[in-house]
Amino acid sequence: MTWTELPLVDGISNFCLVGGMVFWFWGTTQLLTRRSVLFKLHGLSVSDTLGSLAIVFGLLLKIPNEWPLLILAMICLAVWNTMLGYVLAYCSTSGDQP
Amino acid sequence: MTNAILITAILALLIPIYKACTEEDIWQKMLALSSVSSKVSIAILLVSVQRDDWSIGVVAVIVLSVGNAGLMLLANVLKRMGEA
Repeated sequence: MTWTELPLVDGISNFCLVGGMVFWFWGTTQLLTRRSVLFKLHGLSVSDTLGSLAIVFGLLLKIPNEWPLLILAMICLAVWNTMLGYVLAYCSTSGDQP
Repeated sequence: MTNAILITAILALLIPIYKACTEEDIWQKMLALSSVSSKVSIAILLVSVQRDDWSIGVVAVIVLSVGNAGLMLLANVLKRMGEA
């Protein structure tokens, strides 16, 4: 029995996958509200980044033989999603300054 | 389990797609499209890990990086157009 089939590791993996989904739905449902762009952007960038990281980590535990690709995806997620959130916030508000 | 996660991911994807189609304000539309881009790349990654096919996984990582980079450039173009 390899370590990925241990019930504990399988449990953690499923917890990460479900947790990532919950994050996704939490952030995405805020899109439907009538709040400001920055409020939604905060919810979205947190939920997309953390939720996706949790999903990819859950996948990493479940099927570890593709670990280089999944770690690359996690690094890309952490860097690009955060940067995109910042750029969108900067560009969407810079027009409002007097 | 990963099948259920994939179906849920596709359901989660429908909300920003609906929002992107119905929203008038350009920045709200950009928000929805950035959410679509990262969710689609994770869904592609899910499929690639399930099929154990690296080439699909590499496409997912490229979509993640280049997709977000493209949205950043578009945001800056929109900012400049707003100022002009």
